[in-house]
Amino acid sequence: MVIGIGVAVTLLVPLVPLFQPYMIQFAMLWVLILMALTWDILGGQMGYNSFGNVIFVGVGMYTTAVVQREMFFGAEYASVAGQSSLSLVDYLTGLGIGMGSGAILSVALAAFLGSGILALRGHYFAICTLGLGVAAGELASGWDYIGAGSGLVTPLPPDGVGESSTFFYYVFFVLVVITFMLLRWLYSCRFGLAINAIRDDEDKAEAMGLHTTRYKVVAWCVAAFFLALTGGAFGNLMVFIDPTETAFAGATFGVWMVLMAVLGGKGRLWGPVIGATVFHVLQETFWTYLFGWQRVALGLLIVAVVVFFPLGIVGWVRERFAHRFGEAVDPAARTEQVTLGDGT
Amino acid sequence: MLHPVIRRAALVSAVSALAFVLGAPAQAKVEGDTIVLGAALSFTGKYKTNGQHTKNGYDLAVERINEKGGVKVGGKSYKLKVVYYDDESTAARGAQLAERLIKQDGVKFMLGPYSSGLTKAIAPVTEQAGIPMVEGNGASRALFNKGYKYLFAVLSTSEQYLAEAINLAAEQAKAAGQDPAKLKVAVAVENDPFSQDIRAGVLDDAKRYGMQIVIDDKLPKELNDMSATLTKVRALKPDLLIVSGHAKGAATAIRQLSEQKIDVPMLAMTHCEAAQVRAKFGALADYTLCATQWAETMTYKDDYFGSAGNYAKDFESHFGYVPPYQAAESTASVMVWKDALERANSFDPAKLRDAIAATDMQTFYGNIKFDETGKNIAKPMVLRQIQAGEYKVVAPSKWASDKIIHPIPPWSAR
Repeated sequence: MVIGIGVAVTLLVPLVPLFQPYMIQFAMLWVLILMALTWDILGGQMGYNSFGNVIFVGVGMYTTAVVQREMFFGAEYASVAGQSSLSLVDYLTGLGIGMGSGAILSVALAAFLGSGILALRGHYFAICTLGLGVAAGELASGWDYIGAGSGLVTPLPPDGVGESSTFFYYVFFVLVVITFMLLRWLYSCRFGLAINAIRDDEDKAEAMGLHTTRYKVVAWCVAAFFLALTGGAFGNLMVFIDPTETAFAGATFGVWMVLMAVLGGKGRLWGPVIGATVFHVLQETFWTYLFGWQRVALGLLIVAVVVFFPLGIVGWVRERFAHRFGEAVDPAARTEQVTLGDGT
Repeated sequence: MLHPVIRRAALVSAVSALAFVLGAPAQAKVEGDTIVLGAALSFTGKYKTNGQHTKNGYDLAVERINEKGGVKVGGKSYKLKVVYYDDESTAARGAQLAERLIKQDGVKFMLGPYSSGLTKAIAPVTEQAGIPMVEGNGASRALFNKGYKYLFAVLSTSEQYLAEAINLAAEQAKAAGQDPAKLKVAVAVENDPFSQDIRAGVLDDAKRYGMQIVIDDKLPKELNDMSATLTKVRALKPDLLIVSGHAKGAATAIRQLSEQKIDVPMLAMTHCEAAQVRAKFGALADYTLCATQWAETMTYKDDYFGSAGNYAKDFESHFGYVPPYQAAESTASVMVWKDALERANSFDPAKLRDAIAATDMQTFYGNIKFDETGKNIAKPMVLRQIQAGEYKVVAPSKWASDKIIHPIPPWSAR
C-alpha cells in the first residue's frame, strides 16, 4: 500500500501547477536515473566498467524513429509538411512498436557483442566498450538511411498526447519503477549473488561452478533492454536525433552514466538513483548560476567526490551511519571484512 | 512507519523538486518595462567561436534599440533584454534549454541558437509551444520543409551558399574555351546538418553542368585534420575544391593547404570570416572564395545602424573585430522582433507570429521578407574572394566590385 501511495504522489506531480514548467527537468531526471541504474548492473554490481552502454540508447532511439518513419511516412518523410498530422492512436502505436523493436534489437546486440567481449576483463573490457561506442556513433553518422550526419527527426506528438514533456515524464517514470523493481528483485536472488561473486573474484566464482559468461551476458542484456526503451522514448522527447550528440552521445550521457553511479555509490541499489538526482540538480544549478563555468564546477565537484567520498554518497552514508542500516559497527569486524577483500 | 524505499524516494523527490524550483527563478515574458527574449547559444564546445559572434550580434542590437527609445507596444516604451543559456554545442542540451526558457523562464520571444543542428533541435520545441523563433544561424533546407509555422530565418538557406562558386567555375571554364562538364570538383564537408546541406546544394549544381565529383568526403565534427582528403586532392587535381566545416573547417583547410603546399585552381568555402582566416593566416588565405550572407560593402540601410559599413564600424568598436556575417544576421533577428512587436502592438504569441510572417523591411543586413515556410527570400548570398588580404565581392554580378583572380597561382609562385 505504501508503495502505491509513493507512486501515486509521483504520478500526481505533473498536476501541481508549480511543477508544470519543470516537467522537462523531471523527465530528464528519470532518463538519467535509468541510465545510471542500468550502468550500475555491470559497473557496480558486476565490476565491469562499460563505457559503451550508450550504444543501446542509440540503437533504441534510431530503431524507434525509423519504425515510426516507415510505418507512417515512408521515403518522402523529409518533406512531409506538418508532422503533427499523426492521430493519437497512430502515434502511440508507432512509438510502442518502435520502442519494442529497439529493445529486441538491443538485447540481440548485447547478446552478440557480450558473448564476444565479455570474456575480456578489467581495463580491456572498458577500452573495448569505449571503442564500440565511438564506432557506433561514426557508423550512424555515415549511414544515409538514418539521416547520417544530418540527423533524423521524429514525428511531433499529436495534440491528444498533451504536453509532450508531461507525457514522457510518465513514460520514463513507469520505466524507472519497472527497472528499479526488477533490479531490486534480481539483486536479491541468485542472479545478484552471482554477479557480485563475479565482481569480487571471478576465478573463484567460476571455480565454484558458475557459468560466469552466461551471467555477464544476461546482465548486459538487461541493461540493454531498458536503455533501448529509454533511448526510444528519449529520441521522441527530443524530436531531433543527432548521431553523436543525442543518440550515441558517449561524451555526455556515456560519461555521465558512470559519473552518476560513482557519485551516488556504485554497487548499491539506491546509489545510482541518488547519484543521478544530485548530478542533475547540480548540473542545472551550475548551468543557471555559473554561466560558462558549469563544466569546470562540475569537474571539480567530481574530483572532490572521488577524493573525499570514494564510496559515493550512499556508500559514505552507510559507513557513517552504519547502525541505522542494521550493519555491523564493530570496528574489528569491519577491519576484518576489509582485509578479506570485501571492500564494497 | 513508511516503507524505507518510499521514505527515501519521497526525500529524493522532495529535495530535487525544491532544488529545481529554487535553481531557476521564474521570469515573466515582460518584466515591468523590459521585454525578455531568450536564446540557447554555444558558449562552449565546437561552436563556441560562432556562438560568441551570435551573442555579440544580439547584444549590439539590444543595446542600439534600447538607446534609440526601445520598443513601443500599446503606447508604452519597453527595453529589450536577452536571457542566455549555454547549449554546449549539443543538440540534446539545446532542446532542453529551449523548453526551459519557454516553460520555466516564461520566455515568449525566442531568438535562434547557432548552427543548423541546434536549430533543428530547438524548432520542434518552439513549434509545440507555439512560441515564435526568429533565427539567423540555421540555414539547413531541412528546417523549412517540415511545415513549421513558428520558425523564421533572416538568412539565405544553405543550398545557396556555394552555388555561385560552381557557376563561377563554369563561367571561367567557358571563358577559357573549355567545356564545364570536364571540370573536376572535390567536396570535403563536415558531417553535420549544415555542411551536409551545403554538399547537397553543390552536388545539385555540379550535376546541372555535368561536372565530375572526384572527391566526396565527409569529415568528422571538431574538424582539426583533413590531410587524408588533401592527399587525394594532390593526386586527383580537381579544378575546384569545396570545403565546409564551420569556423574550424575553414581554419583547418587554409592551414593544411598552405602547410602541404597543395595547389588547386579554385578554392571555395564557408565561414572564412568567422574563422578570421585573414587575420590568422594573412597571405596564406589569399584567393580563397568565401560564401557570405552579408558584406559590409553592401548598400543596405536602416535607422538603427545607418548602413552595412556603419554597422561594421560600430561592431568593431564594441568587440574589437570585424563582424562576421554570423553577427550581422543575429543583429537582424533582433531587429525583426522589434519591428514585429511594434506592428502587432501586442505580446500575444499568435498575433506576433502573424506579424513576423508579414515582415517586409530593409535592414543594414539586407531586405527581409519571409515566404510561407519562414525563410527569407529577399536577400541574396554573395561570394567574396580574398585578394591581397582584402575581401572583394566577385559574385553575383549585381554586387560584384572586383573580378575574380583565377586560377589561384601555385604555391611555388606565391
